[in-house]
Amino acid sequence: MKKIAFLLIVCIAFIFAEEIEGQYPNAPDFTLEDIDGNTVCLDLLLTDGPVFMSFWALWCTMCIKELDALKPYFDEFDSLGVNLLAISQDKARAVPKVKPFALSHKWRYIVVLDPDNIMRDLYHVQAMPTAFIIDQNKKIVFTHQGYKPGDEEIIVETMRALFAKGAEDEPQE
Amino acid sequence: MNRRNSVLNSKFQTSNFKQISNSKIRNRKEIVSAAVLLLTFASFTLLKAQGIRISGANRAEYWVFVDENLDTLNYKEHFEDKLKLSFQYGDILLHGVFFLWEPSLPNTDRLKYFDYTAQYKKDPVNVLYGTYYTTFGRGLVLNAFLDEDFRNDNSLYGLKADIRYFNSQLTLLSGKPRNIFFEENTYFVKNDTTDQLRGVNIETKLIPRTKLAGRYVRVNRTEDMTPKAFTELFGGNIGVNIGPIESYFEYAQRLGTYPVIGGRLKGEALYFTTGLAIPGLGISFQFLDYDTIGLGGAGYRYNEPPTPIKSGISVNRGINEIGYGISLFYSPIDMATIEVENNKVTTHDTTLNYFGQIFEINDDMDGVLEQTIKIQTYPSYDLEIVGAVDRLVKQGIEAGIEKKTETKPNVEVTYNLGPFFIETGYEHNLISSDTSDYYEHAISFSLGKPERFVLSLRYERRNRIPGWLVSKYGEELSWPLAELSLDLTTRHNLRIRVGAEKGGLVCSGGVCRFEEPFKGVKMVLTSIF
Repeated sequence: MKKIAFLLIVCIAFIFAEEIEGQYPNAPDFTLEDIDGNTVCLDLLLTDGPVFMSFWALWCTMCIKELDALKPYFDEFDSLGVNLLAISQDKARAVPKVKPFALSHKWRYIVVLDPDNIMRDLYHVQAMPTAFIIDQNKKIVFTHQGYKPGDEEIIVETMRALFAKGAEDEPQE
Repeated sequence: MNRRNSVLNSKFQTSNFKQISNSKIRNRKEIVSAAVLLLTFASFTLLKAQGIRISGANRAEYWVFVDENLDTLNYKEHFEDKLKLSFQYGDILLHGVFFLWEPSLPNTDRLKYFDYTAQYKKDPVNVLYGTYYTTFGRGLVLNAFLDEDFRNDNSLYGLKADIRYFNSQLTLLSGKPRNIFFEENTYFVKNDTTDQLRGVNIETKLIPRTKLAGRYVRVNRTEDMTPKAFTELFGGNIGVNIGPIESYFEYAQRLGTYPVIGGRLKGEALYFTTGLAIPGLGISFQFLDYDTIGLGGAGYRYNEPPTPIKSGISVNRGINEIGYGISLFYSPIDMATIEVENNKVTTHDTTLNYFGQIFEINDDMDGVLEQTIKIQTYPSYDLEIVGAVDRLVKQGIEAGIEKKTETKPNVEVTYNLGPFFIETGYEHNLISSDTSDYYEHAISFSLGKPERFVLSLRYERRNRIPGWLVSKYGEELSWPLAELSLDLTTRHNLRIRVGAEKGGLVCSGGVCRFEEPFKGVKMVLTSIF
């Protein structure tokens, strides 16, 4: 039964993935607090431009590597209006270390606290890190589980492609 | 004789028939289960067309592993699947979790449950009914949390309402606690009690840069032998954020009756943190003093007071603990970061003065001392070198070991070759316990291609069997392990792990469990849709 169930789940996962390929799911709304005590709301962020968000935690080495690797691209995307979010999944006990850690790494992302892991549930995060890109139509246009050195290039290329497409879609004057 | 043979034959045939008939029933059940699953997925596709947002995730795990203690078959299987589905229509969200765990041994009960949450969320109100997780403050009064990586599900089932109004938030809740915990390769429901929790929490930011909160939780029990039994927790906190400096203080008190004998029980907790954060430098200090604040049973808590210990160890989860934690994060230049940590939690020792109890650890105390120094450098864009030394002293923490000291220098080098990357690591763990001094060392190598795969090989070795080792830890001296992680698509990942894992005491968030040594294959498929 176990082997059959496992194979069945593998098959169904593929069938279902195939079905939704190309149809981007809507991004769930959220309102959370950042490390400076400011309220961060998805709808407000999207008024500036697309949103990139990565789920991370202090114990997750790969998450920190991903956010460090994306640092050199911050200015490029910030100037285009992209809001880059680092969503901390650290539980209440680790919260005091989040801000000192993020600033010591010179991250300029909006670091959001989610000690009850509400966001992890909302976005069905299965592995850390997981990154999402949300376009201004509030669609999740990119999902990426895990991090391997070099993955940041794919994330950056996706963002650039998103902007190139946005520029093409704009009406010509 | 012939008659006896014929009876035996007939019995054999009957049992054979029963086996065939059972197997047919099993096959039929499998077909029905498969059909139900397929129909469910088909219905989701139809619902999507109706404007209902459907999203979800699935995690399926299958293990086959050796168990030499078994008499007949010498292997066991483990299958578990967790399917999460969310349906959103306007301001209404329905969330369901289907969980199934099937062990291979017929005498072990399998675990199957369906959790759901129905939520209505429209500012300023958020109301939900079902299974939920929530923490009041930093968890001194209430901490219902889910630690999926550690397989520790500490939930509440009931009603919760949040109201936001004018920089303030009021939370009201009522719920039945449940703790599902994975230990020794088995899932247990730890707190199968009749307890009912009711709580209120109010937070306000009416004063600039200051957050004030107050809270109250009461535990109601329908079955309690204690005369005039009651348990309640209350407390509050103040958080101040001035420029780069942030401070937080929380106080909690527990009032109740001693179990069975009755009589007044009182507990108290103090928790204080302060930190400095400027670009390139971060310092954090934590202080805690817990006396009988931990509320729950032998293996579970309704509150989970924080521990500063990074490796997740606590001494007795809020019963008798005092300690501190200091962390320093420093990036003097862009291509280097330094982390230094010194954390300590022990039981109280009234022979020492108060500062002595906070900062010292003597032979009469049970406790943990953790020290880490880590340096990370990027000499070039493609190269990363991480070197660290971790020291951990455990006193009265592990069963059968009075004191254990581990000193672990380790180094890891990652090099990006363009289309591929390689990572190599070495760690050497010098362990000194009551009766034995020994060492463990490990070498690892990984090769990966971005967005495709990572192949990791690890070989760990212990120089000799320590004197304290009990049979359940196994008597292996080496643990070879290979893991392949495949990104099937950006939303699907398959991990296959083959080899041996050491096992031992593992902890997370103050909760510890014994993990059995493992020899076999693990397959994990995760999907987001």
